[in-house]
Amino acid sequence: MVNQKITCIILLVLSTLAILACLVINFEAWIVYAVAIFGIPTWILSLGLLTMAKPKPEDVEERVKEPFTGY
Amino acid sequence: MNLMAEILIQVIIAFLAGSLLLGLHRKVMARVQKRPGPPIVQQLIHSLKFFFKETAFPKTVSKVFYIGIVFILALIWVVGVIVGPVAKDSLLILFGVYAVYKIVEHNSGSSSGSPYGKLSCVRAVLSAATELPLFAAIVFVYMVTGTMNIGEIITYQSVHGPLIYSIPLAALMFFMLILTKSPYSPFAITKDKVLISGFETEHFGFLRGFMLFSEAIAWYVLLWVFLTIFFGPLNAVGYLIGMIVISFVTGFINATTPLLSPNHSVMTQITIGAICFAGTALMIFTGVVA
Repeated sequence: MVNQKITCIILLVLSTLAILACLVINFEAWIVYAVAIFGIPTWILSLGLLTMAKPKPEDVEERVKEPFTGY
Repeated sequence: MNLMAEILIQVIIAFLAGSLLLGLHRKVMARVQKRPGPPIVQQLIHSLKFFFKETAFPKTVSKVFYIGIVFILALIWVVGVIVGPVAKDSLLILFGVYAVYKIVEHNSGSSSGSPYGKLSCVRAVLSAATELPLFAAIVFVYMVTGTMNIGEIITYQSVHGPLIYSIPLAALMFFMLILTKSPYSPFAITKDKVLISGFETEHFGFLRGFMLFSEAIAWYVLLWVFLTIFFGPLNAVGYLIGMIVISFVTGFINATTPLLSPNHSVMTQITIGAICFAGTALMIFTGVVA
């Protein structure tokens, strides 16, 4: 979980910097497209993984089993 | 304007407009069924609310695949926004985006390990077999205009008038595709209620919010493409009215039509698609369409 948090923070910072760089500097179109295509989803994914609420330690086992009503 | 700024603005517009249009769609369905229904902004609020909801990753999922597929869903529709409203580039790329979208539906269902997701993933293959031919309506756009470039198609229509008048059956094919992708559609076999939420069943919490974000953009892009390639050069008000009307019409159809079984859904789509395809081809080859 700690590793996931660190990875998310790194990805969030990198994608933010890449998007900001494209906003400030006029790169070639293909570079801007590449940054937008990978940067925007990465920014949302890393932000979401940081903002999402985590289950309480005593509830974790129940939560990871709970969705599989069919099994 | 700076290219990245334009992309960001278009993505935000697509998300906000798409969410509100899907909210309107839901409201129309509720009113037709004599229910008050949720507020129009509910879809938008849901998308944002889920980012803060408790999220756990089920034991049997393939974690990288399970998260990665949601990332790819967002990625392809960002491509859709860039190719459509931003760059007005080739329709063929959008066809490719839609093809990958069907693969994402398939893989999203299989990544969860849930039986509902797996059944939906099988149905995604069935629906792809009919939805991709419906998207092939763009072939007729090419045959009439001589180009796949959206910008050039707009220019063509500004001279010769909207394509809806010359190839209406091709427009009907594309409308069938939009109807299929609308929520609670009679052809939405991948999200049949017997499969709970189909391929999305086991994606909950933040991941569901991320999926709702992508689906709002997908709805906006599909409506934008339909209005652009069949209704000629439109200004912002024209797009707004067109998108509201289509959301209203699809909402009305979906509220009054039961969900078809997978075989009936596929046969109906293929039949309508084949009639429209043959009709448009006949119109073009007999010289009805100049």
